[in-house]
Amino acid sequence: MKVVTVGTGMASADFVQQLRQEGFADEIVMISDEPYAPYSPCVIPFYLAGDPLESVFWKGQDFYQRQQVTPLLEHRVVEIDREQRLVRTEQGASESYDRLFYAAGSRSWCPQADWMQTAGVFGFKTLTDMVAIDRYIGQQGIQRAVVFGGGFIGVDAALALHHRGIEVTIVHRNNRLLSQMTDVEGGQFATERLATKAGLDVRLHNTVEALSVDAGQLRGVTLSDGTTLDTAMLIVTTGVTPNSAPLTGADDGVSVSSELLSEAGIYAAGDVALTRHLVSDVPGLYATYPNAQQQARVAARHLVHGSAHYDGSLNTNVLQKHIDFPIISVGVFEGEPVTWCQGDLFRRAYLQDGRINGYILIGDTRNAGHIHHLYVTREPVDHNIAEILADRRGVSHYRNLMQLQTPVTV
Amino acid sequence: MKKIFVDYKKCVACKGCEIACAIQQHPSHNLYALVGDKKTQVNVRVLGVEHEAFPVSCRHCEPAMCLDACPSGAISRDPQTSAVVLNPDICKACAMCAMVCPFDAVSFKQTHRAQYGRTVAYKCDLCHERLQEGLNPACVDACHSNALVFKESDELSNQRAVQNLKVYLLGDEGEPPLFSLYRELRRKEFARRRSDKS
Repeated sequence: MKVVTVGTGMASADFVQQLRQEGFADEIVMISDEPYAPYSPCVIPFYLAGDPLESVFWKGQDFYQRQQVTPLLEHRVVEIDREQRLVRTEQGASESYDRLFYAAGSRSWCPQADWMQTAGVFGFKTLTDMVAIDRYIGQQGIQRAVVFGGGFIGVDAALALHHRGIEVTIVHRNNRLLSQMTDVEGGQFATERLATKAGLDVRLHNTVEALSVDAGQLRGVTLSDGTTLDTAMLIVTTGVTPNSAPLTGADDGVSVSSELLSEAGIYAAGDVALTRHLVSDVPGLYATYPNAQQQARVAARHLVHGSAHYDGSLNTNVLQKHIDFPIISVGVFEGEPVTWCQGDLFRRAYLQDGRINGYILIGDTRNAGHIHHLYVTREPVDHNIAEILADRRGVSHYRNLMQLQTPVTV
Repeated sequence: MKKIFVDYKKCVACKGCEIACAIQQHPSHNLYALVGDKKTQVNVRVLGVEHEAFPVSCRHCEPAMCLDACPSGAISRDPQTSAVVLNPDICKACAMCAMVCPFDAVSFKQTHRAQYGRTVAYKCDLCHERLQEGLNPACVDACHSNALVFKESDELSNQRAVQNLKVYLLGDEGEPPLFSLYRELRRKEFARRRSDKS
């Protein structure tokens, strides 16, 4: 049986590794439009910040060789021919398959497609992007950059560039950075610290309206409030689009069953897969590494053994790159909020029926795992959540375990 | 695999485990070199919980949530000892591990092992290098009251361990009379402090 993976990202790499661990000895081909061994997108901004390139290849640069995989690199998949069981690439190759693992990931979405043709404008999603940005910074002697889009990837990009010594302005349309992974108060708390402690120049309620271009080269940008900024580098992080069109005809994700099958013989996982949420059951694109990994493992076990079940995805996010105040965001921010805030610590949980529906923790990771555990296990916490949030030393889990009563303070 | 079990009822909060761990983890392996060294790494933390004390550290879970969450390939399982080991050379301190560790066993700082001049994650490595020399983990050797015991963990416990930390607790040997007395005194002292406060 021949297996082909569309993509060499985290889901595909974990899938192949799991297949080999399960004893699958047949042919595997991995296809990617990039020229690299599997790398970790979570890690690549560190390459820009100064870490060596080797450290992004999280499963080793010899992955293909070690896993006895035939890589088909710098080939972009454009068509899945189900009748003939063929994968066709833009570069003219066609690869037959018995089972297909479709994990083509996602790509940067730009509000004006033609911007990306301008020298100095980059997306921030792939290692190809990072290498191009790195080379450009070196060639142009970049000292000032604008990041458009203040979500997770935008802030990640801004912090990496700032760490490298570049002056960064981050432009975001909302009233706070990280607006998708925070509520208003939590987001504003985080934004304030990203501006003061991390040193980002933050422009909220703003968008990049126009570019100033000279002979194909970026010279500056104009914001919606009329400000003009001189810069030769713009990073666009206004969103991502799943690369699902070659499989489904549209770039809006691939629906999968609990076996990760999108149809007989074709698995989908990672950033393209529409899965159900473990807690809320709401289907969506839950594009984080732990989800991708579990999906890959389930698909591999299903392929080898004929049975395996994916329980569901979680939307967990944490940002602690180049900053000393982690920003953790999990679940949905609906229900009754319980908040504890002191100095540089902000902790808020949303309760529904006495159980945690979602939470935001900013400043430390002290109780994060305990709260995560309570969230996933759906344990009733209405009687002690205030105490857990206010626990600065991380004793609440251990107090519970040692069956000690909460001290009565009068 | 062998794991470190905790009998917290025998812990007298002497913090001998913390010192032994710090010496073991320090490049000099010398107590005096720790003084004033901000990069000192201590992988066990004696936590005061009311009148009790609990030495908190990595439980080397199977499966380990931190290992599954790590997107940089920095956390792996040592094939010889089954310890969950973190490689600081490729750790990016992204905190994915700390976000899911129910035991609060992962910390962050610029340790002696941190490259590139920034923070990395650090946690107990079960002294897996000592184990290969036939020694016990440093904290276990340093524990004079037998609150920390290094012993074989059966498969059943490993399965239950993911749900519940209680399987790492010992206490089946009964409590020596001196410990009972000590704990009773602590309990009274804490009750007195609480009533003073209120």
